[in-house]
Amino acid sequence: MPREAEPSLNEKQFVIQALQENLRLDGRELDQYRPLELSFGDQYGLADVKLGKTRVLAKATAEVTVPYTDRPLDGIFTIATELGPMTSPAFEVNRPTETEVLLSRLLEKTVRRSGALDTESLCLVAGQKCWSVRVDVHVLSHDGNLIDASCLAVVAALRHFRKPDTSMEAGVLTVYTPAEREPVPLSWLHSPFCVTWSFFGEEGEIAVLDATWIEEQVRVGSCTVSLNKHGEICQIAKLGGTPVEAVALLQCVSVSLTKVKEFSDLLDRKLAEDLKRRDKGGFMAELRAENDR
Amino acid sequence: MSNDRLFVLPGETIDPSLIPSHPKNPLRLGPGLRHIPPSDIVPTVAGQLITNPVKNFMSIEYNSTHYIPSQGDIILAQILRSTTDFYLCSLAPYTAPATLPHLAFESATKKTRPILSPGQLVYARVSLANAHMDPELECVHASTGKADGLGPITGPGCVFDVSLGFARRLLMARAVEDGGVGVLDMLGGEEGGGLAFETAVGRNGRVWVGSDNPKTVVIVGRALQETDRSRLGMERQRRLVKKLVREMRWRD
Amino acid sequence: MPLDTSTYNLALLRVDGRRWNELRRVHAQIRTQAAADGSSYLEMGHTKVMCVVTGPSEPGPRRGTGGGGAGGGGAAAGAGAKAEVVVSIVIAGFSSVDRKRHGRGDKRTLELQSTVANALAASLHTHLFPHSQVNISLHVLSQDGSLLAALINAATLACVDAGIPMTDYVAACTAGSTSTYAANDEGADPLLDLNHQEEQELPGLTVATLGESDRVVVLVCESRVQVSRLEGMLAVGVDGCKQVREILDRVVREKGRRMVQEGTVEKGIGLNEMDVD
Repeated sequence: MPREAEPSLNEKQFVIQALQENLRLDGRELDQYRPLELSFGDQYGLADVKLGKTRVLAKATAEVTVPYTDRPLDGIFTIATELGPMTSPAFEVNRPTETEVLLSRLLEKTVRRSGALDTESLCLVAGQKCWSVRVDVHVLSHDGNLIDASCLAVVAALRHFRKPDTSMEAGVLTVYTPAEREPVPLSWLHSPFCVTWSFFGEEGEIAVLDATWIEEQVRVGSCTVSLNKHGEICQIAKLGGTPVEAVALLQCVSVSLTKVKEFSDLLDRKLAEDLKRRDKGGFMAELRAENDR
Repeated sequence: MSNDRLFVLPGETIDPSLIPSHPKNPLRLGPGLRHIPPSDIVPTVAGQLITNPVKNFMSIEYNSTHYIPSQGDIILAQILRSTTDFYLCSLAPYTAPATLPHLAFESATKKTRPILSPGQLVYARVSLANAHMDPELECVHASTGKADGLGPITGPGCVFDVSLGFARRLLMARAVEDGGVGVLDMLGGEEGGGLAFETAVGRNGRVWVGSDNPKTVVIVGRALQETDRSRLGMERQRRLVKKLVREMRWRD
Repeated sequence: MPLDTSTYNLALLRVDGRRWNELRRVHAQIRTQAAADGSSYLEMGHTKVMCVVTGPSEPGPRRGTGGGGAGGGGAAAGAGAKAEVVVSIVIAGFSSVDRKRHGRGDKRTLELQSTVANALAASLHTHLFPHSQVNISLHVLSQDGSLLAALINAATLACVDAGIPMTDYVAACTAGSTSTYAANDEGADPLLDLNHQEEQELPGLTVATLGESDRVVVLVCESRVQVSRLEGMLAVGVDGCKQVREILDRVVREKGRRMVQEGTVEKGIGLNEMDVD
C-alpha cells in the first residue's frame, strides 16, 4: 500500500504560522467555505458536489426486497461509502481505512439515525415487501473536508430521488414504470448537514471551517457538528484530539447553524431550479408532436 | 508562446525538413522523442515540437502531472529518512524515493555534513537518472565543489504545486519572453508594489516561495497556481496580480 | 418501555432513584493484572470495563487497518517521531441484555477504538517514545449506558498504572436532558450520567475533559436535540467530568498509599518530597 504523501516541514510550519495571522493558503477567511457547486444528473437521485477541488458523487437507488425480520414495518435504508484508489493512491479497494469508517459512521448518524428519511413509509406489505433505499457515495477527488461534501451530496441525492409509484389492490402489489405513473419523492422529514471545524495551535484556539487536505494533515483536532435548519443537533463528533475550551465549542456550534441554513437554502434553490428544468409544461406538453430536435 | 510551432501526436511521422541538420554537432533528442534506427525519429507524447538548429537539438514541450526524473534537472525534494550513507528523498508523491548522499553538499565531510530531519526540503540536482534505478541527487557541483544555490531550504516560506509544464516555463532563462510567465516579475515590480520574496522552482512541479511576510507568500503562491491552472496570458496575469494585491491590502 | 417522565416532574427522581446531578456508583481498581504493564477495572453503575496496557514497546508487525491508531506521525506512523496509541475493544457477547455478536470489524467498535485512541493521545506524552507503540486493550464485560465514558476512564487509569507520562487525567462522563427533542420544552432539566434506559429514551452526550480544566477532549452526541439545550448539557457534563476525575485520582492515590504500606514500593528515593497520600 503506497503511503499517504505527507507535507514537508516547511509547509506544515507555514500553514500554522499563517493561520496564527488569520491567513490561509488560498486566501480565504477562517470561517469561509470554498466555492460550493451542486448539480444534479439527468436521472433522479444523482447529486454531484464540488467543494473547491474536493468532489463527491452520490447516487440513490431503490429496489423492492423483504424487510428485516426484527423490523417488519420498516423499509431498509443504507448509505455505502467508497474510498477507492481514485480518491487517493493510499486507499485500497475492500480495505476500509479509519477515514472511511469514520466518514460512513458520521453519515449514518447524521442522516439515518437522525430520522431524516421516514423508513416506515418505505414499507409496502408488512413483513413481506418493502423498499430498500441505498445511497452510494463516491469520492472522486480528495482535497479535504470530505465529510461536509459527502453529507451534502447524500442529502441532495435523497431529496432529488424519486421512487416508482406503487399501489395495492386485493393483495396484489403493482410497481409502475415511470411511463405509467410519475415517480414519487421519498417521505423526507428534515435535512441535516455537517459542518466540520478544524482546530490549530497549541491549545486548539484557532478554529477553521472547510479545511483543505494540507490543513487537515496539520490540524490538531476536529469537530463535526450536524444540524438541520430548525436548530436541531443531529450529531456532534469531536473524537479526541487536542482539548478545546467548552465555550469555544459552543461558539462553533452556533456559527455552524448559520452555515447549515446557507446549505439548506442552496439545496432548496438548486432543487427548485432542477424541477423547473425538468418541467416541460405538464401532460399536454408531452402530448404535442413537436420535439427538441 | 508562438503559435507557429508544430503540434505532434505520439507515433506521428515528423517531416524530415523539420529535423535540424547541423554539419558538426550530433543531433540531440530531448524528452518526448525516440530514435528508431536507422533514421526514424518518432514522438512518444503529444505536444509542441521544439527545434533548435544551432544546438542541433529537438524536443517536445508537453504538460503532464507525473514527474520522470532526468539527469541535470533541478528539483525540490523532500527528505523521507536518513540511512548510513545517504538520505532518501521523495520527488513526487507515490513514486520511488531518490537517494541523496550525505557528502553531496558543499564542503561536506563526514563531520560537517548537514543534518536534515524527515520532511525537510532540499533544492537539488538530479545527478543520475537511469531507467529501473532509483534516481540520485546532489546539492553540489561535482567538478567545482560549489553549491550554486542548491542545498537545504530554510527560512519561512511554503511550497506550492504547479504543473510540470509550468515549472519548466518558470525555469526558462527568459521566462517572460519564451515561457510567457510574467507573474513573478510583476509581483516584484510595480504591479505588485515591489513585494520582497524569493523562489526556488523545481522541475518536479513544486515551487518554494519564501518571504518574511506570510501574506507575500500567499499572494505569490496563489498568483502562480492561478496562472498555471487558468493558463493566463500576459495581460490577464497583470490583472490577477493587481487583484490579489488589492485583496490583501483590503484585509489589513 | 417508555420512560415515565411524569414521575420525574413530580418527585425530581430518575428511574433508578438518582437526582439530576448524581453520578452512579463508580468503583475502580488499578493494577489488577500482575503480568501487564498497566491494568485497571472500572465500574460505572452496571457498566463494567477492564483494561490492559502494554508498552510503550517496539511496534509489532503492522496490522492492515484494524484498531484505531492515533498519535503517531499520521499515516507515516512507522517512521513516526511519536509513539502510536493503538486501541482494541472487545465487547463481550454477554455484556448486554440482547445477546448480540459484535464482530471485530463492526464500525461502531472501530469508531470507539479510534475515539479512545485519539483522546488518550492528546494527554499521553507520546513524543517521548519515538518509533514505539502503546497498546491498550479494553474488554467490555457489562453494558448499562455511558460505555464510551467508561472506556476512556478505564484506559486513563491503566495508562497511569503503566507509568506512561501524561499531562493529566482524561475523565469522561455523560449528560442528558429530561425530555425528548420533540417537546420544545424550555424547562427541561439536564441530567448527569445516563444509564442504558435513559440513553435509549433521552438525548444525551458524552464529554471527556482534560484534568481540572474546562477543555473538552471528546464530545460525542448521537441523538437529536435542540441547540439551546446543548449549553446546559455540556456544563453538567464538564462538571461531572471533574467529579469523575476526583474519583479516579482518589483510586490512584489510595493504591499508591497501600503499595507503600505493604512495602511493594519503597517510600524513599526521590519519593520523599512527594505527597503520596
